[in-house]
Amino acid sequence: MRTDLFVMALVAILLSIVLGQLGFFDAARLMKGLRNMGTLTLEMLPPDASVLPVAGKALWETVQMSFAGTMLGFLVSLPLSILGTRHLFSAPLSNLSRLIAAGIRTVPVLLWAILFVILVGLGPLAGTFGIAAYTVGYLAKIYADLFEGTDPEVMEAVQSTGASRFHLVRFVVFPEGANAILTQLLFMLEYNIRASSILGFVGAGGIGFVMQVYLQTLEYRRLATVLLLILLVVLMMDGVGAWLRKRFLLTAH
Amino acid sequence: MDNTDIALRAEGICFAYRDKEWVLRDISLSIPRGKATMIMGPSGSGKTTLMKVLAGILDPQRGRVEVLNHEIGKRTRRSLYSLIGYIPQQLGLVRNLTSLENVLMGALGRCGHGRVMLGLFPHHEIEQAQAALDLMGISDKSSEKVFRLSGGQRQRVAIARTLLQRPRVVLADEFVSDLDLDLASEILRLMRQVAEREQMTFIANMHEPQLVREFADQVLLLDHGELVRGLPRHGLQGQPSAEVFQ
Repeated sequence: MRTDLFVMALVAILLSIVLGQLGFFDAARLMKGLRNMGTLTLEMLPPDASVLPVAGKALWETVQMSFAGTMLGFLVSLPLSILGTRHLFSAPLSNLSRLIAAGIRTVPVLLWAILFVILVGLGPLAGTFGIAAYTVGYLAKIYADLFEGTDPEVMEAVQSTGASRFHLVRFVVFPEGANAILTQLLFMLEYNIRASSILGFVGAGGIGFVMQVYLQTLEYRRLATVLLLILLVVLMMDGVGAWLRKRFLLTAH
Repeated sequence: MDNTDIALRAEGICFAYRDKEWVLRDISLSIPRGKATMIMGPSGSGKTTLMKVLAGILDPQRGRVEVLNHEIGKRTRRSLYSLIGYIPQQLGLVRNLTSLENVLMGALGRCGHGRVMLGLFPHHEIEQAQAALDLMGISDKSSEKVFRLSGGQRQRVAIARTLLQRPRVVLADEFVSDLDLDLASEILRLMRQVAEREQMTFIANMHEPQLVREFADQVLLLDHGELVRGLPRHGLQGQPSAEVFQ
């Protein structure tokens, strides 16, 4: 109990120091920030609906990039994560697979997008590849950890029927992990829609380019319309995700 | 006993999960062909470990196991399917697949990686899987996912899977321990019918003396990783009658 209190006090002190160094206790600056926020909010209202056709088209491109990128990344992450599952493959192979996934994950999505703009030129193709790359790094790690948690008793029972390693993946590992596979995929899709909104900043297509133009030309009412559109898409994705989970996920009675 | 009458023979089995912490100590046993042998012992006596060693899932540090004169340590696990079937305590069913799909797992040893990887099993295997479910009295549950089935129905699916696998020896690890006595007795009766029909040798860990009395042809007692004659030192759950051990 005393140790818990000591740890909590230590964390509180550390947090205060860090916040102080970051300028959190600069009251004048914070008050100025609040005033600016009020001004900015007023300048965003009412949203300018005239940009709906342009923003809508760009947002559709973002959704396409997110969907295609997520699915491409998902398809590559599955074999990579299977190879990274230690009780299915030898340690050198699974370690190599995990190392590749960690390497991919280290590079932020924006940097991937810049890299692909250099490789394939400006536009949504670069964004799609960028999203796919980031998705591979993230999902390969999550799925490899998930697959390693497959009930060993089920693996042993099915293995004793003469099942090969590939049979085990197809008939035990994937079905047993189906819930988490789908949940993580949907999470990744939602995340990628939000993340890909800024890929246009580096010329990788989508709504980001439109946002950048409105920010630089101080057209905040138009920016507000774009933000509302993104919110709408994210909410729709939440709805679709909820429906998919309800439709496909295993629910114990 | 003549060699041809022996289904499974173990000699000098020693097993430890960690260095020198022996869970099984110098176990030698012979299981007669076509009979039901039940292994009893208190919790932690090494029953499950023994079952996994006999099934070829765990490799013993010392000793050898032979099934129908084939030394299992010299064969790959995949190649053992025609000799040994294994039903673990929690049955090892894939919860998110249907009963029929789970039963079809029993045919994987005979199937390649072509159409089967798309979930397309040979027609005759599907027919036999349906017949196995029918024999177990749950053909109406063939397209039901396993997580929706009751405990007894899951047991039947596990037996049907073993039936489709057609091994010579079936090892079952306390696979009816979660059921009430009447249902457990019914499931064991089914298992015995299947074993007799297919001339399988049935070996099971069991802690319920009444079931042992009813279904065992031979009883082995395990205590602290050793096979003992008579009762183990710390007694068994629901002390079995002396009659069981004669």
